[in-house]
Amino acid sequence: MNLGYLGGPMPGRPDPGRRRVLAFAVIVSVALLTIVCQLWYLQVLEGGRFQEASDKNRIRVRPIAAPRGILFDRNGLPLVDNRPAFTLSLIPRELDRDPVQRDVTLGRLASLLQIPFADLQDAVAKVSPDSILPVRVRRGLSMDDVAKVEEWKLELPGVIVEVEPQRAYPNSRFAAHLLGYVREASDEQLKGGRYRRGDMVGQTGLERLLDEFLRGKDGGERIEVDAMGRQIRLVQSTEPHPGAQVITTVDRRVQEVAEKAMEGKAGAIVVMDPRNGDVLAMVSTPSFQIDRFTGTIDRNAWLRVMQDPNHPLLNRTIQSMYPPGSVFKLVVAAAGLQEGTLTPSDRVSCQGEFQLGTRTFRDWKKEGHGSVDLMKGIRDSCDVYFYNAGLKVGAPSMAKWALAFGLGTATGLDFGSEKPGLIPQPKMSRKGKPVSWHAGETVNMSIGQGQVLVTPIQVARMMAAIANGGVLWKPRLVQRIERPEKGVVWGDAGSVTGHVDLSPVVFAFLRQSLWAVVNDGGTGVAARIPGLDIAGKTGTAQTVANSKSEKGQDHAWFAAFAPVKDPEVVVVVLVERGGHGGSAAAPIARQIFNTIFLEKVAFAAFGG
Amino acid sequence: MVGIDRRLLQNVDWPLLGATVCLVALSATTLATLSVGRAGTGIALRQIAWFGLGLIALLVVASIDYRRLVRIAPMLYLVGLIVLLTLFVFGRTVSGARRWLLVGPISVQPSELFKLCFVLMVVWLLSTRWAQPVGKAVLVVAAPLALVPAVLIVKQPDLGTALLLFPVLIVLLIAAGMRLRILGGLVLMGLAAAPLAWIALKDYQRDRILVFLDPLRDPLGRAYNVIQAKIAIGSGQLLGKGVAGATQSRLAFLPERHTDFIFAVFAETWGFVGCLVLLTCYALLLLRGFDIAASTREPVGRLVALGVTALVSTQVLVNVGMVTGLIPVVGIPLPFMSYGGSSMVVSMMALGLLLSVRMRQFQ
Repeated sequence: MNLGYLGGPMPGRPDPGRRRVLAFAVIVSVALLTIVCQLWYLQVLEGGRFQEASDKNRIRVRPIAAPRGILFDRNGLPLVDNRPAFTLSLIPRELDRDPVQRDVTLGRLASLLQIPFADLQDAVAKVSPDSILPVRVRRGLSMDDVAKVEEWKLELPGVIVEVEPQRAYPNSRFAAHLLGYVREASDEQLKGGRYRRGDMVGQTGLERLLDEFLRGKDGGERIEVDAMGRQIRLVQSTEPHPGAQVITTVDRRVQEVAEKAMEGKAGAIVVMDPRNGDVLAMVSTPSFQIDRFTGTIDRNAWLRVMQDPNHPLLNRTIQSMYPPGSVFKLVVAAAGLQEGTLTPSDRVSCQGEFQLGTRTFRDWKKEGHGSVDLMKGIRDSCDVYFYNAGLKVGAPSMAKWALAFGLGTATGLDFGSEKPGLIPQPKMSRKGKPVSWHAGETVNMSIGQGQVLVTPIQVARMMAAIANGGVLWKPRLVQRIERPEKGVVWGDAGSVTGHVDLSPVVFAFLRQSLWAVVNDGGTGVAARIPGLDIAGKTGTAQTVANSKSEKGQDHAWFAAFAPVKDPEVVVVVLVERGGHGGSAAAPIARQIFNTIFLEKVAFAAFGG
Repeated sequence: MVGIDRRLLQNVDWPLLGATVCLVALSATTLATLSVGRAGTGIALRQIAWFGLGLIALLVVASIDYRRLVRIAPMLYLVGLIVLLTLFVFGRTVSGARRWLLVGPISVQPSELFKLCFVLMVVWLLSTRWAQPVGKAVLVVAAPLALVPAVLIVKQPDLGTALLLFPVLIVLLIAAGMRLRILGGLVLMGLAAAPLAWIALKDYQRDRILVFLDPLRDPLGRAYNVIQAKIAIGSGQLLGKGVAGATQSRLAFLPERHTDFIFAVFAETWGFVGCLVLLTCYALLLLRGFDIAASTREPVGRLVALGVTALVSTQVLVNVGMVTGLIPVVGIPLPFMSYGGSSMVVSMMALGLLLSVRMRQFQ
């Protein structure tokens, strides 16, 4: 810049004012250079940081939660569905960096929605402050809460309301044990590294077993917003991938009827297809309100369920072990017939009690059954007959065939913690005699008492084997899993876990006897449906524990299949402390058969 | 009114006018990229219209001999004071400040116009025979000349404009030959009075100073402007984000982006390189002003040119300094860039005075 004296020199006349003017020019130039330095610092040296800040200003990440896969019954009816629910989430990256300011925001939120302030702080403290993934703080917001948050949006940076699909059930207790509940990943589950905080994870039942298939992949949107937080445009969008669809073997209609039949009772029902092991229904009562367990349950409600003396969380079909009672007589009969220690024509005179040394074993019928052969022994469930038979067959043989029928071993349902049950096996000395085993134990075992413990699902598998001629199917709950774009990603054709090697004649005899139990004046007459050949066995298992139940101390069993020719369905009913199997359990089985064979029965009833 | 002879036209300072036209063009393009309120892109056209009006004002001022203007300066100054006083009665209030006066369809900011009256008034005082040599006595008279209007303007409240008067006064006193030692004493007295001034400040003005010292004090409140401006400028980086990418400005994160903070918009859009171009224009303009002052041997003309240049320089430095975070936020528009009729016309009139001195320096 030429600051020269343009007006022409005037030699000899000093001009002090001009020097002062030039000094000001220098001052202004220095100031301008300072500004250039500041711009260099802001734009070039720190530019990247400010670019990031600018993006953070305008870009908001909005997750789109993927819906969880839906479970269908065998006929395509949904067992569980999704409905949209509002979830309050914090996005750590969009929260204020300054801890004081951040706490102001959280405090505002806490008082707005009456959430404990500490909860919010904890939730934020557990994740990286740079995370753009939402921290889900509260699920199931009411419309009022949503409106409040929207209204205060500008004062709540980093706080969003997500629409998240949540589980919806046909009714509050429907198939609670079978489906299982879905909740946020626990601290322990988070340790495994497979889940993020706030993820919904199947905690029990099929939801847990199939969690990796059912959980979808969340999508998200990157949107540009203005200073008021209004959306300006969509920068990027990733579609959520819903979880896979699961086609189960369950028949919703049967499940509902079975649940209804068990209302107010404690116990279990298993309905199974003997031809392939398909589980059509699986009921355990008392049940729990599955919809209240979804999302965030308050601590008190949780404790109430956990401490309930009736153990509603227990899946009694697989996790409770009961003495099989008279149902076990089928094992004794099968063992004796197969090994020749019993014949159908062996007769015993029953006077209502049986003497072994100094001990007296009673029959359930005080006056006795009179002269009893094997078929009548099964039909009328004569205890005295089987005390004798048990001694003839022997404990080792009974144990061997019980195990062959799959009693005392888990069915392999991979479903929570399945209990194996127990079949006592006397230790043998070198001479082949049982060691430390009393004959009284053999007598007890022959009517399914003593140490014998089974689960309802094992009994169902055994009945299926009797019905289908000896095939032990692994119970199947899931037919296949499908993804919308990929088709079937997992399938189960059913698997056979063993064979019961009994002669066909023995099976035929057992089926004939079981038919008589229901249809020829036996103990299971309460299950009879005219026009349908049902075969079944009652059981009344004595328990040691005291109970205030009016009906007594005994668990009632009824294990059945139908039709006798080409059996299609096995039904096992157990009513805890229900009394006699014939009176407490058999009518429930009848209702289930009625539902399944409704058309057939109606057809027969009208004389077709 | 005046005869314009060919000699005057030959001495028109074309580089000065060229730099000004460049600045106004940059202003208009920047404003065009901002859609502010209902005005939309019309705001850029209006700015150009103001520039047109300013050009007429410039011609009028330049055609008058500045010595005649200095002669009537006391009258202009008095009228200015009276208008500032009437603001308290007839003033139009916009966002809590009574700065505007309605004249027909347009609202005028009298404090803008008063700045020029003030410069002329101080020059008049310093060029009287009484004031020679410039010493303490002059200071005693000159100080109230600045203080009285400053108080009136602060009460509007418009701290920035009020504070502008003092650097201009000091520059003129120094240029008129006042000894630096006397001014040094004055500055010391000012520092001693600073605590009193702190008490007199309004809460929001104190906040601005505190926020400057510690921007994280209140990031969503007072410091919001500073933080957002820094983000806008910084994110422009070397080459800028371009018109479409300037999200800080376009998405309204930046407050007062068409007026006081327009430099941040420009910096975000065109980056460091763009800023260099803009600052070069200002450097050209300001150094040209100093050149005119330095090359004029006529004492009144020199003081007028220097006073006007000091006025514009202070505004540019304070505005850019505050937007880039070098000094606390005081509301001062950026001459020729910020949208605003009064500011544009008054800045053009200031140039008119400069040209007037330039054209007559060889008479």
